[in-house]
Amino acid sequence: MNLRGVKALIRGLWLSWMQYRSFFFVLAFGWMIPPLIYLLVWSTAAGDGSLGGFNRGAFVAYYLVLILVNQITYAQVNWTVGDLIRCGQINHILLRPLAPVYDALASEVAGKTVYLLFDLPILAILALIMKPEVTFTWEKVGLFLLALLLAWMLRFLWGYWIALLAFWSARADALLTLQDSLIFLLAGQVAPVALLPGFLQSAAIVLPFRYMVAFPVEILTGNLGRADIAAGFAIQILWTTLAAVLTVVIWRRGVQRYAGFGG
Amino acid sequence: MNDSHIQVRNLSKTYRVPVRPEGLRASVGSLFHPTYDDIPAVKGISFDVHAGEVVGFIGPNGAGKTTTLKMLSGLIHPTSGELTVLGFEPWKRDAKYLKRISIVMGNKSQMLWDIPPMDSFRVLGEIYNVPAGQFKQTLDEIIELLDMQELLTKPVRNLSLGERMKCELAASLLYRPAVLFLDEPTLGLDVSMQLRLRKFLADYNRRSGVTVILTSHYMADVTALCPRVILIHNGSLMFDGELSSLARDLAPYKLLRLTLLEVTSMESLKLPEGAEITEREGLGLSIRVPRADAPDITANLLQTLPVSDLTVEDPPIEAVIDRVYTGGSL
Repeated sequence: MNLRGVKALIRGLWLSWMQYRSFFFVLAFGWMIPPLIYLLVWSTAAGDGSLGGFNRGAFVAYYLVLILVNQITYAQVNWTVGDLIRCGQINHILLRPLAPVYDALASEVAGKTVYLLFDLPILAILALIMKPEVTFTWEKVGLFLLALLLAWMLRFLWGYWIALLAFWSARADALLTLQDSLIFLLAGQVAPVALLPGFLQSAAIVLPFRYMVAFPVEILTGNLGRADIAAGFAIQILWTTLAAVLTVVIWRRGVQRYAGFGG
Repeated sequence: MNDSHIQVRNLSKTYRVPVRPEGLRASVGSLFHPTYDDIPAVKGISFDVHAGEVVGFIGPNGAGKTTTLKMLSGLIHPTSGELTVLGFEPWKRDAKYLKRISIVMGNKSQMLWDIPPMDSFRVLGEIYNVPAGQFKQTLDEIIELLDMQELLTKPVRNLSLGERMKCELAASLLYRPAVLFLDEPTLGLDVSMQLRLRKFLADYNRRSGVTVILTSHYMADVTALCPRVILIHNGSLMFDGELSSLARDLAPYKLLRLTLLEVTSMESLKLPEGAEITEREGLGLSIRVPRADAPDITANLLQTLPVSDLTVEDPPIEAVIDRVYTGGSL
């Protein structure tokens, strides 16, 4: 692997993104709003009692961590992959001695560091004001970090294979919007998965979306038992593997088609 | 000794293009039973390019130039035929191959748009694993040749088209490729910027021995840089040789330029069969005549007209090429 090249690419893209930091801050702010609204709705609904095992402080903890996880796992690069393909910019990327997925990964890493410059101070202030209730253990934190890494990989790869459909269709982006909607519904944003009605909860548990956002949040702030955590990791790893396989297959066939049809 | 950098044998590329019928019913039908048209873009061309050569690749829009360049660089897969560049099969896009070639597309940029060129250059230097010492030496040389010192610290988006093209060229040469593909590098540039880039390319080629294939619609690029041209039309190779012999080989006519002693009315000008006046101004007259008949017609004109001066010329290269482009054949 060309590590030198990847490091340099991250640096270059980071410099680029920093030119637009205010734009990224606005984006990050926009992504923060829906979970904040649901935080307020649920914590008000809980009042002084509790709802499905969540009291007010637990809702606050859940949603503040969810805001952070949502931003870390959100793969904004997938929105630009399609444009690169349609406009032929992918030509230069294909002709570099560096696998093109690194371009997307570098963009991800560079982008995240810009968002976090905005997110971390805001979350710290919100935590001071809203007083989340949560107890961290080292074990929980360790499992959370592992689940977070897998969640990011899953969300990135899932969006990447969808974005690569641009090799065939000019409007593959529409599927990314669908993915965002399903994440909103099933990945613990509109409500923690534990509070979803029965059939939605069952769907959330088997489909990939919970494992892109909610699963790490539940590990850190909820009361998942060991069996639930183990099952969660198994499903998360399964979907991540499937997404990786799909990415490789679609990439190969897409490039083959691109080579056949011309850029 | 075989110093051939590029070998092309019977190279063809046929694009399969989906056909989208009109009307709702038909377009729904095409979702399930897509139909395709086969569009031949390049039809069995063959040529060799030797190390250090500068070859001009010319032809009208849609002739197959860019398709050929894309096959040479490795972006697209040939439909049939053989193709090696530096001993590699380009479409495999082996990293070892990609480190030795470079492509500049006049309408596509490889610079990072929002940061100064120097930062993009550093990124590219790292991607291509250029050792620090060599990177500095190469960059200094290119910066001097292109006279672009003052551009290095401005964001690329603030540069003019010509300044950006300087950056593209510099970026493409940072890792000292052995083969350089230039697809319309002077597209949209003003005359003096075109001149500068031509001079740069000529100098750089002389210094480094890089093999260059250049496509351009500006004949001046080709005449200034390319001792050899390859002309393709409708995907077929029509001419491969010295630029100076292109007109001789391809134009079936010559141009007689006459200056008359006195104004002669059009009626009294009895031109032999096959000759045609292309230009007339005052005492000057240009006549196009079939190449084979040029000597006879010249003799005839000298006898019948009060001629003070007469030259026999090959037609201008642009005119020859225009006839190829518009007529398709000669």
